Amino acid sequence: MPRIENEIWTRIKDGDSAALAELYDGFAAAMFSLSLEILRDRWEAEEVIQDVFSYLWRKPEAFSPDKGKFSSWLLVLTRNRSIDRYRSRKRRVDRNESDDILSSRSDQTQPDAAGEAVSSDERAHLRLAFSELPEDQRKALELSYFGGMNHVEIAELLDLSLGTVKSRIRLGVEKLRYSLTSLRT
Amino acid sequence: MDKLRQQALDYSLGILPKEEAILFEASLDVDDDARKFLIEAGEDCANLSLLASPSEASVELRHRVMENSAPKKDFNPFLESDVINRLRYNYTTPNNRYTGGGGSAKLSEIGVSAVEDRLEEIYLDLLALFVLVGGNSAAAEGDFGELKSWIGQTNPLGLGISETLALPLPGEAAPAQSARRSLLAALPSLAFFVERVGDGSATLADVRRIFYLCRDQLKIMRASFSDLDPAKLADDEELRLHGAGLLRSKWWGAEHAYFSTNGKVRCGHFFEGPVTERCVEFAEYDSNIYCLANLLATKSGNGEFHLELFKDAIPSGVLAVAMAETSLENHVKLENLALGVGNNGHSPANDLALWKLVESSLLRGNHEISAEAIKDVPVLGCSRFEDSTYLWFTWPSIPNSHEGALAFTGNPEQ
Repeated sequence: MPRIENEIWTRIKDGDSAALAELYDGFAAAMFSLSLEILRDRWEAEEVIQDVFSYLWRKPEAFSPDKGKFSSWLLVLTRNRSIDRYRSRKRRVDRNESDDILSSRSDQTQPDAAGEAVSSDERAHLRLAFSELPEDQRKALELSYFGGMNHVEIAELLDLSLGTVKSRIRLGVEKLRYSLTSLRT
Repeated sequence: MDKLRQQALDYSLGILPKEEAILFEASLDVDDDARKFLIEAGEDCANLSLLASPSEASVELRHRVMENSAPKKDFNPFLESDVINRLRYNYTTPNNRYTGGGGSAKLSEIGVSAVEDRLEEIYLDLLALFVLVGGNSAAAEGDFGELKSWIGQTNPLGLGISETLALPLPGEAAPAQSARRSLLAALPSLAFFVERVGDGSATLADVRRIFYLCRDQLKIMRASFSDLDPAKLADDEELRLHGAGLLRSKWWGAEHAYFSTNGKVRCGHFFEGPVTERCVEFAEYDSNIYCLANLLATKSGNGEFHLELFKDAIPSGVLAVAMAETSLENHVKLENLALGVGNNGHSPANDLALWKLVESSLLRGNHEISAEAIKDVPVLGCSRFEDSTYLWFTWPSIPNSHEGALAFTGNPEQ
């Protein structure tokens, strides 16, 4: 996981601009990569990152350590804001490309800009673990996490029952968790 | 237990139905397992995030982000001034919000075919340009080849703005005003950055700026001429909130140009929340900000100017302010426009046109205030404090606006 400790949040809460710069330098690439994966629009992804940092600076108390890791909170916030934008755009223009969200970008060979924040071992391990998931679990996870689809939408698209969709997502998530746990321990 | 775990995951993904989400949130105060599963779900989501292909944001994004922590300019002397106090006590919002159509004309009503043709050409060029500078374009990835080639083949947008403006437009009627708005609001800045691409000096930040300027210019032109693109105009007239975040994204730390003058924009007091309800209304708002920015860009003493939006300064209004350090001589030029003595031949024609555009737009946005009553309810003005000029206008706020107009997920913090 990215090495962003809760301590940096405490400093941001105290108005330390150097901490904001540290956070940006260490973590913005991971956030941007996530947002771009979802939105596939560089300007929109930059807007999301700008919004998230602006929100954090103005309302650092939106996070609290009892919510878990600061880094996880930031990624989930980035993901949810990106999904909001994606849904908003989708409402206007049906892009008709919802079932191949992750794989369409998998051949990109851009520099590993997020490498400072994310251990490449972990990312490689995670990608491998993800690729080894049964296809139905992988698909459900892609549609849910990067496509922002809810269970009902996924069930309709994949012609599955609601319960099956839920269990596939949960199982996929759990397998990835155990896979990473084994790497870290 | 499995159900609670599933709820925590769905909550993190923002897909837990609202009623269940409220119950789940309540359970976090009393249920250790709920808290534990929520933290676990956050970790799971963070893991999934790492599956995204690594990408690098533009260098300029860091500058914009760090502007958040820069000290904010103190606007209190201006906000406590007599004229703003007068506005504060007298301002009321119209009963019906602006929904478009006001000030709009048909292109053919201009009556000068060279202007009509040029405007139509510009609109069509911009539609093509918009695709080339989009967030998923090659230019957005740093490959300017296709964009540069298109610019080389197309009549540069900058050519002909001044010449077109010099043609005899028919007075102050709507067709002429619409033509001036289309030529003077966002287009000069857009032409400036397009030229940069053409001469090979553009950066990724310039391409991003072109994207926003192009999008705004297209909307401004559609709102100005009802027959230019009726289908898209109909979409622009749909109810759709536009947040202050849209303005922040494009103005915060941006470079702005007006013909050959360019300067750096500073912001700091923007808020979260909607400012307009429809694209056609946003086009009015946007155009007004461009006009004020253009007026200041040529008169700023240090090449910098501030753009700010104040949500709570005027009850039921949003106060937009453009401010720059100016010489007394330049301030007087602007003040004369506000005092209505700008048309005595001493103000440049374009400055007068910019001011008139804002003035007429504000009468549309605040349509229950007559032109005569504007002295008592100064929705538009020019003030001076110390060595700076403040140009400002007030637009009706959106009642019951929720924070973060772009946030739709049930709980975006999660």
